[in-house]
Amino acid sequence: MTRFFSLIGRGLLQHRAMMYLLVGFALFPLYTGFADLPFWNDVAIRIMLLGMASMGLNLVLGYSGMVSFGHAAFFGIGAYCVGISSYYDIFNGWIHIGFSLVTCGLMGVIIGLLSLRTSGIYFIMITLAFAQMLFFGFVSLETFGGDDGMSIDRAEFGLIDLYEPLRLYFLVWAALVIVSLLLMFIVHSRFGVTLRAIKSNESRVEAMGLTPLKFKITAYVISAMICGLAGTLFASWQEYVSPDIMHWTRSGELMIIIILGGLGTLAGPLLGAIAFLLLEEFLPELIQAIAPDYAENWMIVFGPILIAIVMFGRGGLLGLLIKLFQRKGAS
Amino acid sequence: MSSPILQLDGVMKSYDALLATNNVSLDVVAGEIHALIGPNGAGKTTLIKQIYGSERPDSGRILLNGEDITSLSVPKRVRKGIGRSFQISNVLTDFTMRENAIIAAQAQRQEAFQFFLPAFDDASLIEDAMVILDAVGLTPKANILVSELAHGERRLLELALAMAGEPCLLLLDEPMAGAGPQESQHMTDIISALRACHGILLIEHDMDAVFALADRITVLVEGAVIAHGTSAEISQNPAVREAYLGREDEAC
Repeated sequence: MTRFFSLIGRGLLQHRAMMYLLVGFALFPLYTGFADLPFWNDVAIRIMLLGMASMGLNLVLGYSGMVSFGHAAFFGIGAYCVGISSYYDIFNGWIHIGFSLVTCGLMGVIIGLLSLRTSGIYFIMITLAFAQMLFFGFVSLETFGGDDGMSIDRAEFGLIDLYEPLRLYFLVWAALVIVSLLLMFIVHSRFGVTLRAIKSNESRVEAMGLTPLKFKITAYVISAMICGLAGTLFASWQEYVSPDIMHWTRSGELMIIIILGGLGTLAGPLLGAIAFLLLEEFLPELIQAIAPDYAENWMIVFGPILIAIVMFGRGGLLGLLIKLFQRKGAS
Repeated sequence: MSSPILQLDGVMKSYDALLATNNVSLDVVAGEIHALIGPNGAGKTTLIKQIYGSERPDSGRILLNGEDITSLSVPKRVRKGIGRSFQISNVLTDFTMRENAIIAAQAQRQEAFQFFLPAFDDASLIEDAMVILDAVGLTPKANILVSELAHGERRLLELALAMAGEPCLLLLDEPMAGAGPQESQHMTDIISALRACHGILLIEHDMDAVFALADRITVLVEGAVIAHGTSAEISQNPAVREAYLGREDEAC
């Protein structure tokens, strides 16, 4: 327990940022309740789930330096675990989650073992190839809706009825808290530190008598399982799943979220998800107000904003925030 | 003479038409520094790589403490007792010296695969790390990021990391490369002291250091051993003078 508190205290701004964000998400429904904006609860759920998936990917991308361009596949597998279970009349959410964790874990081992033999651009390509394979695999599975996908009912979690307002919201929140704590421990553990060492210099880690592949594959599997969990909850929230959920652009989206928020940081991906989805939400409206003719092309503004943050704010949004806080502290 | 720690037995390695290692046999015994010298391209680093395990010989055997390690992977050989410093500094540049040593210490304890044990703030690991850094006199700079260190200090850190695994055999690939005269002297003193508990195979171009340190010298030219003996014998050997030392003189 003391170690738990020392973790939150240490790393200072990093962990505090994470705490503030989690507390913020817990209190957010109060605001939407008073202001009568239930729509925003759904936006927050979306942010939390994409944030969670990005946090999972970040273990591989940010902490171990492996650029996986196929993590949407695990998000999608997690989602299809709900769809396929429901098709066979299994509606228990705990079973969905268990099914998803086991499947994503196994797929993580298989894809990881095959792709981690390569590195650099080859690794990027092979992870993308696996994701595309799965994408087209699901497109061709007519039983499960093929291209059109399938509608599903929200899962049943015993006494928690997800159709009651805010039940799903807090289920997602609780999952996010658990994933955050898990990652907080992993990242600062001996395993996590060794992962970062592998990112910094693999051959030195080997010279210490360790087998880097063992660490990389473990990180890959953990990250696949986290993405799967996010996907499972996402499907239950959306009440619908189609191959689009694992389209390669979503893999890119997750990477953008991480880089936007802060690569290799705990709070970065969540912060990135907030920024990314809010921009996606507000930019079209903003442009509609200023220049209605261009509203459909809001991506033209979106792109340069992302590029600017990545170029000028090294360390992403979290890096910018920390710099801001430190300057305030210094003066 | 004590029993050899390392034994090479007819090791051969070629890259296409190039014969990089031609039937090399040598040994390193406990408590000695065995220097491997030779002109550039003689195959010294290739030989070290085969002992270390990042390259496999085409034929021949490599024995560590009498055990055949020819087909073992790098991490396995390291765990059997081989420590290596590389020709080009190979340390964890994104970390502080202390963190480098902590990562080495937890690897040495076989506790690197622990998900819920703290690393950088663990008192006993920090203690171990300080012992590792103290061996090369780097403790005062423990909290400095490696990327901010001078070249000589990185070389020292690398030596400390190589020793952290408590190896019985140290492979040192040009530890003096790029160091100033003072740093070279410091490094020479440290390596000389290491002799007491390790067998050392040393590649070095700095001849002053080689003659100051080496108990025995093997001269490698075009992948083959052309001479082998004590420092005194080698410095008198006419073939060596011509093939190696002479050319070195001209170059300078």
